[in-house]
Amino acid sequence: MRFLFVNHIQNARQSLKGNRMRSTLTMLGITIGVASITAILSLSGGASQVVSSQIEALGGNIAVIRPGSQSETPLQDITQSPSPQQFSASTLTEADIATVTDIAHVAALAPMMVLSGSVKSASSAPVNTTIVATTPALAKISSLTIRDGEFLDPTLEPNTAVIGPQLSVDIFGTEDSIGKTVTIRGQSFTVTGVLKRTNTPINYNGVDFDQSVIINQAAGQALNKSSLQIQQIDIRSDSVANLNQVIIDINKALLKNHLGEADFSVLSGEQIAQPTNRLFTAIAGTTTAIAAISLLVGGVGIMNIMLVSVAERTREIGIRKALGAGNGDIMAQFLIESLALSIGGGISGYLIGYVVSFSISTLLPFYPIFTWEIAGTAVAVSIIIGTLFGLYPAIRASRKDPIDALRQYD
Amino acid sequence: MAKTKTAPVIVLKDLKKSFGIGNAEHYAIDGIDLTIRKGEFIAIMGPSGCGKTTLLNILGLLDSKIEGEYELDDRMVASLSAWRQARIRSQQIGFIFQSFNLVSRLNVIENVALPLVYKGTTQTNRLKQASAILHNFHLGEREYYMPYQLSGGQTQRVAIARALVNNPSIILADEPTGNLDSAASHIIMEELSDLHKRGNTIIMVTHNPRLTTYASRVITMLDGKIDTDTAAPNRPVDQLASRPLGKKRKQSKRKKEITI
Repeated sequence: MRFLFVNHIQNARQSLKGNRMRSTLTMLGITIGVASITAILSLSGGASQVVSSQIEALGGNIAVIRPGSQSETPLQDITQSPSPQQFSASTLTEADIATVTDIAHVAALAPMMVLSGSVKSASSAPVNTTIVATTPALAKISSLTIRDGEFLDPTLEPNTAVIGPQLSVDIFGTEDSIGKTVTIRGQSFTVTGVLKRTNTPINYNGVDFDQSVIINQAAGQALNKSSLQIQQIDIRSDSVANLNQVIIDINKALLKNHLGEADFSVLSGEQIAQPTNRLFTAIAGTTTAIAAISLLVGGVGIMNIMLVSVAERTREIGIRKALGAGNGDIMAQFLIESLALSIGGGISGYLIGYVVSFSISTLLPFYPIFTWEIAGTAVAVSIIIGTLFGLYPAIRASRKDPIDALRQYD
Repeated sequence: MAKTKTAPVIVLKDLKKSFGIGNAEHYAIDGIDLTIRKGEFIAIMGPSGCGKTTLLNILGLLDSKIEGEYELDDRMVASLSAWRQARIRSQQIGFIFQSFNLVSRLNVIENVALPLVYKGTTQTNRLKQASAILHNFHLGEREYYMPYQLSGGQTQRVAIARALVNNPSIILADEPTGNLDSAASHIIMEELSDLHKRGNTIIMVTHNPRLTTYASRVITMLDGKIDTDTAAPNRPVDQLASRPLGKKRKQSKRKKEITI
């Protein structure tokens, strides 16, 4: 019996080879479906990995405090656009900053106040961009490096700004913009530093530093009618081992500050990336579902061709039965043939999917990922499609009456 | 006579097979009692539509929707599962068809090896056995020909080789020479005769009365019933071959032209 399986495979290869064009076209249906699923999963996986890998790269001792409690339902994060929360009156206050600074093992902390507004130079049209008001510690925590000049120093001159290299090019036409004057929301700031290009538009700060302008916290507060709105406090603990203790202490201290209301959340590691990941997962899920439709179409193609094949080979089925093939043998023969079509399509789809996602990724700030899950999905999906759509033709073949089958002339 | 010495292989008791339903129902086989013993070479004759092929299909377990009893090797066929019946076809029965019935997309050796597939033989062994039997049939040089590249006689020899490759004890031949000229027919019949001498049970349906000379027992059928049987107790053996068949020969020849 075990040789029978090998024979069915040989047989399937033979019959598929015999109709090369037909087999290739049938496989193509599955190939396209699996290729799109592979591309979507690998790219979305790559996208959601960006943030978590950044956090890992920063040394694993980063935590952030965000206003508002962490939502329990993942869907809420996706359906709510991030901006209302970002610009709503923050629950984090200056008192909180002071409290957190005093907690043991907190090596550095940088409150971030994110404003949006127009930025322009004397000669350029206003550019809408992100304005980050923060403290010098941000450079250390988020590993921002200066290409030219120096980072913020509130003790020298409050109205200074550090700008991203892309923003510099946009408003000054050059990356060398030290000493030039930039107008932010009508206020003049002197550029004292230009950041080095980071090429990480997606990061845990939610700010593309290449395209934003960073000003002192006090200046930001002044721009916002003297009210301080802290969207995020970045914290770096003195060592990875202490991070957990730091988070617990911060939670305790802030809860006291907030009179027992948990209207803030302290996140670390994977948690920081979670909202982004959830969003990508949801997008990937939806697009995968759409791609799955093409798989169904491919499956219908397989079923169609297998039915044609069964009809064409009715006489052969009769002969095989007369020579001792049982119904199970005939069924296995045709089922393996349809599985060969779908698995063949699945494997080529997996490869083509990666070719596609790598070529798309040249236009994107991240790379597709390789995981066993994606390869497994490709194989599992093709096996399921092959079985599902091959079963009916195979059953039909196996139920053919040998005498009627032998009577059919080919 | 072999019948007194060997055990019965096939026993039919009041076998009936009907086609159609209601008013259109008619019995292709209408009450056959028959015992076939091991080592017999039986020629079944009769006009077209008398139920010869239907009988052969029933004997070969291709048709199991029957009334009456069919015992094969002391087992009631009706009680066997479809899988069990397929096993018996695979191990005990060899089919030779009038229209050869080679699988057109497989070459000669693969066609001959086909029954071994369902016996679970490895590919190497399959090809070895198939090659050996093809050499016996002087077809060794044709192993890798496709069926359409062979002459009618060669094709039928391939078909016979295929029927024999799994050493069946019963060989069912449905007009094995029906599509062949007399020279090729002669070769085929010599082969069958040879097989008979080696102890195989052969049941052959034919329209050609000349071929009955090879048989040890001749049965003629008419309207789904056994008309004459050379092994019937009340008939002397020699009488039948010449007299009643002489009449039938003309009949069958006429019919053959019309129906085939």
